[in-house]
Parts: sequence; C-alpha cells; structure tokens
Amino acid sequence: MLQNEPKAPYVRNRDSAFTVMMDVVVALLPLYFMAFYFYGLRALMLGLASVAAAVISDLACVLLEGKRPYPRDISSVVTGMILPLMMSAATPYYVVVSASVFAIVLVKHVFGGVGQSAFNPAAAGFAFAAACWPSQVFSYPAPFSSPAPFGAITEGLASGPAWSLFQGGVPTNDILDLLLGKFLGPMGLTNILVLATCLFYLLFRGAIGWQAPAAFFGIMVVAMMLFPRIPESGPMSLVYESTAGMWIFGGIFMLNEPGTLPKRSSSRIAYGALAAIFTILFQRFGRVEQTFAFALLLTNVFGFTFDRYSERLLRRLRRVYLATRTKLSEKKSAQRA
Amino acid sequence: MAGNFTRGIILEQRKEPALRRKLRTFLNANYAGMLFDSDLPYDGAALSGEQIIELAKLARIVDERDGVFLHEKLEKARQMKIEVVVGDAIDDEPYVSSQMNPLLFMQKETGEGLRLAAKAVGNPKIYFAIYKNLSDMDLKTKLPKDIDGVEIRRIHGRYPAEFRTMDDFDSDGPTVMIGVCSLIHLYRAVYEHRIQSTCFVTVAGGCVANPMNLEVSIGMTPTHLFERCGLAEDPGYVVIGGSMTGEICEDPDNYPVGTMSRAVLALRDEEKKRRYRCIGCGRCAEVCPENLTPFYINRYIELEKYQELAFYDIHRCIGCGTCSYICPAKIDIAENIKLAVAELRRRRRQKEGD
Repeated sequence: MLQNEPKAPYVRNRDSAFTVMMDVVVALLPLYFMAFYFYGLRALMLGLASVAAAVISDLACVLLEGKRPYPRDISSVVTGMILPLMMSAATPYYVVVSASVFAIVLVKHVFGGVGQSAFNPAAAGFAFAAACWPSQVFSYPAPFSSPAPFGAITEGLASGPAWSLFQGGVPTNDILDLLLGKFLGPMGLTNILVLATCLFYLLFRGAIGWQAPAAFFGIMVVAMMLFPRIPESGPMSLVYESTAGMWIFGGIFMLNEPGTLPKRSSSRIAYGALAAIFTILFQRFGRVEQTFAFALLLTNVFGFTFDRYSERLLRRLRRVYLATRTKLSEKKSAQRA
Repeated sequence: MAGNFTRGIILEQRKEPALRRKLRTFLNANYAGMLFDSDLPYDGAALSGEQIIELAKLARIVDERDGVFLHEKLEKARQMKIEVVVGDAIDDEPYVSSQMNPLLFMQKETGEGLRLAAKAVGNPKIYFAIYKNLSDMDLKTKLPKDIDGVEIRRIHGRYPAEFRTMDDFDSDGPTVMIGVCSLIHLYRAVYEHRIQSTCFVTVAGGCVANPMNLEVSIGMTPTHLFERCGLAEDPGYVVIGGSMTGEICEDPDNYPVGTMSRAVLALRDEEKKRRYRCIGCGRCAEVCPENLTPFYINRYIELEKYQELAFYDIHRCIGCGTCSYICPAKIDIAENIKLAVAELRRRRRQKEGD
C-alpha cells in the first residue's frame, strides 16, 4: 500500500491549520494598524522583531528536535504578534525579543511544540518580561508622541490609567479618549470597537469557540458592574476597567489559544469562568497592574483536569441515558404484549 | 424536526447531476435467464406473507443497507411483531444517490415492493425515508410528497443521518429498515420470479464525464462502469462506497462491484499533501455525533496508551468520518480509531486465548 494514499473521508473541509491561524493573524493586523497610528513606526518594528525572533527560535527548536520543519505552521507568528501588543510602545527591543524567545523555546517546545504546550506561550512570555523588566514594560509613551523607531527611549514615559486603578484611584482620563484608545497603555489596548470587531470576526470565522469568551466576559462584566474596586458607579467602573485592563484583549486572543483551551464545551465554559475569577482575584490582591496574563497562566493548569472531569460526567450521563432508553422501550413492548 | 439539533457537519451534497438523470441499465447477457422456478402465482395480491418471504429466499435478495439476506430480515421482523417498515433511501453521503434515484424513477416497483415487504411482516405502517440536508436548494430534482401512495418522511439534520433514523420512527413503534434497491428486487422476485443479479450504483466524482446512476450486473468492474459513463480525465483514485466511509479500490480492472457497493467514485487527487500538526482546536469534539472526544482518543492512540481508550468510550465510535472531515490539521482520526479498535479487539482475543 502506498504511504500517502488518501484515507476516508475523501471529501475534506477546506479549513486547515494554516487558515485557522491565519484568521488570528488577520484579526491582529488592525491592532497593529492602530498601534502604528498611535505610536508610529516603532510599533511595527517591535512587532517585526518579536515575530522574527519567534519564527527563528521555532525553526531552530524543530531542527534541534530532528524533525522536518513545518512550513505552514504559523502559530509562532501568532505568538510573536501577540507579545508586543501587551507591552508599552517604548519597550526596548531586547525585552521583546527575549520574551518571544522565552515563550517559544521554554514554554512551547519544552512541552512538545504546537498544540502540546501546557501554558499559553504568549502569556508566559509576557509574565517573563513583566517579572524581569517591570519598569520598561509598564511605562508608556503618550499617544502621538512618535517615539523614535530605534534605540532606547527614556524620556516622556509615564504610567497609565491601569496604574491608577491598581492604586485604587479613579483615572483622570477622558471617557471618550479611553474608549478610543487614546491613553497611556499597552499597544494592544486600542479602540474598543476595533477589539470588538476582531472578536466577532474570529467568532464568525469559527477560529474560536463562543463558550470560553462568553463565560469569561459575562463574569467579568457582571463583577466589574456590581463590585467596583474604585469609588465609582458600576457602569463607570466597567468602562475604566475594560479599557485600561488587558482582559478584553486577552479574552479575545489569548484565552482561546487552541493548544491550552479544553476541548469539551462544558469544560470550556468552566475554564472561561475560572479565568475570570482568577483575573478578578489578581486585580484585588495582586502586585502588578496588568493581571490577565498571570491569571491565564494559572488557569492553564486546570484545562486538562476540566476535560477529564467533563468526560467522566459525560460517560455517566451517557450510561444513564442508554439505561433509561432501554427501560422505556422494554416498558413499551410489555404494554403492547 | 429534532434532527436539526443533532451534532454533525453540513456537507455539500454534490448529488447532481447524477440524481436528476434517468436511471440506466448496464447489464451483461446473463440477465435475461436469471429466473427461478416456483409454482406460486405472479401476483402479489394472491400471495401470503410466508410465500413472499419464500420468494425472497429463492431470489437470494441481499439488503444493500446492511448486507443481510432480505428473507432473514423479513422473517425476524415478523417474529418481533414490527409495527413500522421503512423503505430506506437515505443517501446522506455526498455524491451517492443510488437509493434516491431508483426511488424516484421506479416509483411503481418501489411502492409495490414496500407493500409486499409490509405484507410479509404482517401489515404494519409503511414509510419511505429520504435525507434532507438543510434545504433542497442544491438539488435540481423536485422530491415528491409520496411515492405510489406511500408517505415520504424526511430525515432532517446534519451528516451522519442514517445511524439515527431509527430514533425518528421511535414514536411509531418497533421499526425495521429495508433498502429501496432490495425492495425493487423483491418486486421482481414476486412478479417476474427473477433472481437478484443486479445492483444499483452511482458513478460520479470529479473525473467522471457523465455522472449517473446505473443498474449493473453484479461482478462488473469499476473500469467497465467508467467506460459506460466516460472519464473526463484519469482519476487520482477510485473509491468504492460513499465518499465519507468508502474504501480505496486499488485494482479497478478486477474489483467486482457488488450489492453493498452503492457508489463508484473517480476522484481527483487535488488535495496537496501538506503536513500539519494538531493544533488542539477541539473541532472534532464539537462535531462528533456520538459526543465523544476524538482529540484525546487520537492523542492516546499516537502515544500508544491503549488502556486509556476505554475511558473515552472508543467502542461507541460509529466510524462516520466526521472528525477527519473537520480536522484542520488533516489528521486521519477516523482511520486511526478504526485501526485502534481492531488492535484492541485483537489484544482482547489474545488475552482470552491465553
């Protein structure tokens, strides 16, 4: 028999791993456009450096493992694109590159590469950068201040509304500016409508499932509305938290990373809910201003366990269902006789 | 309508133009003499149920649905006091229309055949079952409401539909399903005393010039059928059976087409051989009609941890191929599961042998 003989079914879906990943890349491109609009060429160059570092280290790892490279595997591109968007536009290049290399080599490939990693590579890379260089990652240049494309930036940096929220104060920013993304913050936190469009694009294309984001955003919104951590009314708290915090961006692009997301829909809902609970707890009791990545890393641990429990529940339900069905049909035939 | 909420996939049906074209015959010279001797009259109305079963036995009719002898099926149904007999024309796989087409173009034979089968079972309710994908927009054929006075029930929902057809008739009582083609053979056995020597197949696929449904003598080869229908180009590979669950025919010159073949497809080898790795998207778990988790099953098969497979209920797999269809990494999950089930069976037998 031939090695590459096609196996049943002989008609296949047109989607491939490449198109699924490409959808995420396409959804990330508008964010880079917005970052370019606010911070100029440096935003694009940071993205390029991160993607290049990710792709090269991915290739190196695959070759070191002694495998043939997968030319159409662009998951490292996605990781490389997500990473700089969580950081300040003034971040030095070495921070972005080392975070990217850390994410690919120590988080993705140590666990076995694509779809096998136990932790979200982008979140782990961000956690690494935030732990090692907090001052560089969390100090932001003002929008339209056009930071120099190359070289270190030390002047004109300040902390944004996320810092005020972390300190328990109300940000002084204009509400409209916050919604439009015109504030001191990571590059990925831009116009809220652009982020919403990305979410709906990914949902509509089927690149991500609805379960985890629905549970995550549902709990987050309710918690922000009912229990504000700043002295403000519920809706105002929601506006501040959702624009200054990373969780909207992360809930779209990082929570749904296919490798770490559980596979069953029931466990996906539990996973999204747990991520929301951890994010809120980290916000209240944490020591950093952007908490989502750390909460997600903790949630990743439970992915497989949730699947296992969901499967166990499903097994039990299946057996109960089959038993009742046979009992019913037996009863029916007894009635007939 | 409950079928609309079931899990599965929506497939492009690709039944046209084979479905709307007239059923043609392609028989060898033996067909005319394939008759058996019997003293029974050539009249369905004058026959009793046992006599119809006896004629089915003499005609050696095999049900194309499951490969069971029709007389055995009818006998068993009679003993079980079946209340519904369904003429099965559910072609839920793309390209295949070898049950629907005879149903539409041989309405008299199929309708009378179903009534004969019902008489043999003991006069239960009778229906025909046809698969309705989402709409009939992709079909150029208008499907009637009834065939020769017998109501047609539409099986709704996603692929795979055939395995849950029994649930649709559950409220009517115990059901038996009989393939439409074997009903035509039953009609001929009663009215012509003819032995089953033919089968109905769809000849289709990207490389076939004139896709159509044929009634062919059993034992013809795919090459014969392609000569009859014409090949537009050299086929990449030839598939016997449906496009979802069929098997590759390695020797089209010598493979005999039989009752269970249902379709002969000449498909283009257009899919480029690209290597992907599983990205863990979990789409296979979303579409599995049995609500299994093919992702973990496949992973444990790859890791050769066969003891884990029982936990994931691998034996409940119906082999529909939905997981392989949807997989964006193009992994042959269904094939892996099939091989693993065979391996598990072999191991169990070995253990019992010790």
